Amino acid sequence: MYKPLIIIIGDADAVNMDLTREEEAILNGEQGAGRQKAMELVTALGKIYGADSLIDITSAHLSGASYKTIGDGGLKYLEDLVAGGAQVSVPSTLNPVGMDRTRWKEMHIKPEFAEKQLRIIDLYGQMGIKKTCSCTPYVGPNVPSMGDHVAWAESSALSFVNSYIGARTNREGGPGALAAAILGKTANYGLHLDENRRPTVVIDPEIDGSVFSYSLLGQAVGMAIGSGIPYFKNISPEVEEAKALSAAMAASGSMALWHAEGITPEAGNFDISDLEVIHIGKKELENAYDKLNRTDDVQLIAIGCPHLTEKEMHQIAEFLKDKEKKNKDIEIWFCTSEAVREKCAEDVKIMERFGPVLADTCMVVAPIEGTFERTATNSAKAGNYLPTLCSQKAMCRDITALMELVL
Amino acid sequence: MKFQGRSISVGKAKGEVIKLDEPLSFLGGVDGSTGELRVREGNVAGKILVFPKGKGSTVGSFVMYDLMVHGKAPAAVVNESAETIVATGAVISSIPMIDQIASVRLFEDGDIVTVDGAEGTVEIEGIVFKEVVSSVVSNGDKCILEKRFETSRSYPGCWSLVAGKIEDGETPAEAAKREILEETGIKVDEPLGQMDPLYVREGKTLFKVYPFHFDAEGQEPVLNEENEKYMWASVKDAEGLRTVTDTVLVMSTFLK
Repeated sequence: MYKPLIIIIGDADAVNMDLTREEEAILNGEQGAGRQKAMELVTALGKIYGADSLIDITSAHLSGASYKTIGDGGLKYLEDLVAGGAQVSVPSTLNPVGMDRTRWKEMHIKPEFAEKQLRIIDLYGQMGIKKTCSCTPYVGPNVPSMGDHVAWAESSALSFVNSYIGARTNREGGPGALAAAILGKTANYGLHLDENRRPTVVIDPEIDGSVFSYSLLGQAVGMAIGSGIPYFKNISPEVEEAKALSAAMAASGSMALWHAEGITPEAGNFDISDLEVIHIGKKELENAYDKLNRTDDVQLIAIGCPHLTEKEMHQIAEFLKDKEKKNKDIEIWFCTSEAVREKCAEDVKIMERFGPVLADTCMVVAPIEGTFERTATNSAKAGNYLPTLCSQKAMCRDITALMELVL
Repeated sequence: MKFQGRSISVGKAKGEVIKLDEPLSFLGGVDGSTGELRVREGNVAGKILVFPKGKGSTVGSFVMYDLMVHGKAPAAVVNESAETIVATGAVISSIPMIDQIASVRLFEDGDIVTVDGAEGTVEIEGIVFKEVVSSVVSNGDKCILEKRFETSRSYPGCWSLVAGKIEDGETPAEAAKREILEETGIKVDEPLGQMDPLYVREGKTLFKVYPFHFDAEGQEPVLNEENEKYMWASVKDAEGLRTVTDTVLVMSTFLK
């Protein structure tokens, strides 16, 4: 005979989130269906990660901006959100999209893609999100301060602001970050809490200090430890190097925070004497290089992952100014933000002799797989994603070595 | 029978189970406009979709939304452990979802179940629940396997560890010792080890199995009337036999 019976298994519902009266009201739909849905999502994610409360945020950065990565489901989701009147309540920026808004034809993009992509940007704009589409918002439109709680997606950018600035964010996903932006709150767990920001391993690297060496270092650390919070000795990254290191480690591993002795703002807070020390030297960097280089022959050279900074634009233009592109078979794309492109008009003139300087897009989120099969990059992050997200055979070298391919 | 899990996405739904034994990536694993599964035969539309957990691309959340837009979404999702991608997809698509159920093995395709996303419960209709013990009684790297009669009600003709039902008022360890004494005549000391319970479905019966390991060095079983014969089997021997579900898994856990 069938007898109903309740079986309690595990610690189900062991963690109950402590919501304020206002948060409860939002969850109960008293501020409309849009905010209710956002609260359902933020609390569901909080529950999964064991958060006990929500925390106010000062900014958000959203991924899920390219039509290539979100598809028709994502586009419809955004349309429904906008139709429901969703608005962000903190300053929010957007990740790179699938094409340059005006020069998409040079990227071999089809009109149907372009139409949907422009629609997506417009929808984000209608929710109050700044339509600057860059993976480096921290060099311009969205700069958190030390100790700020924020909700950032985009693994490289969130690692940069966690580590180099000392702001606090977890690895948010696109919809979760958008829900947090709508509420101005995110779940309080993980890297928002002091105790979870301690280093877990010491890295003692031997690198030449070039931006590319930081990219390879990040790749090697990701391959060595996969996850955790590395504490670096003997490195002095500036913005460009920190950007490359953050991006590489977040792609080859899942690192969202790192410290560098004497450099990053929280590094001095920790006692590292008991931590394991991992040496990253010539052999490890060579292994990292080999992993990223799977072809000697390319059709596209794509530079700017994460987006090129002003300083990098100057350096590239300086290197190229007296040179001429001889190999016409290889295309070159330079990727940066619209703001940086505008500021570097002189550099752009020189660089355009080699290939388009594209704004607010990149080789990973653009649908390059429709046009190319073999792509070179100077970025370990792109080197990881080009094979998986873009079906490319990838090459990964420093910028000058890549430019030599066409000189 | 009703199981308590954890609420992830609110809403209530009743439907037929479609179950996956492996983690699922909605991107690539499910067609967003038709609901057809690409990882096995079947369609998720209107079904109670049961799988261990999500994996893969974060775009999976939007594939779930796409399913909802096309009217092909699952009626509810049940996971062992929720992760961001599927939880996000379920919430934004208003699909009821719970997690922290003990195992996808509670379910079989075609079960009629009711999921209450707010309460975090799932009720499976028409199943009988039995708590049983199953013991590796070992001598060195071999243990006793008993062959059930072809007329046996459960797993007829299969080779089994020393197993039986837990009686009212007994702890699992007490039941294990009693069963070993009854079925083999061997009096064992305290267990050498035990595993987390396993769930096994045989038709409409759901077994919660408590596996134990006991030492029986130098002893020889004397069977009672319950089993046809016995053998001392290594893991390798057992792999070649028709055994009760999970016999080899339990043996290889205990017999290093």
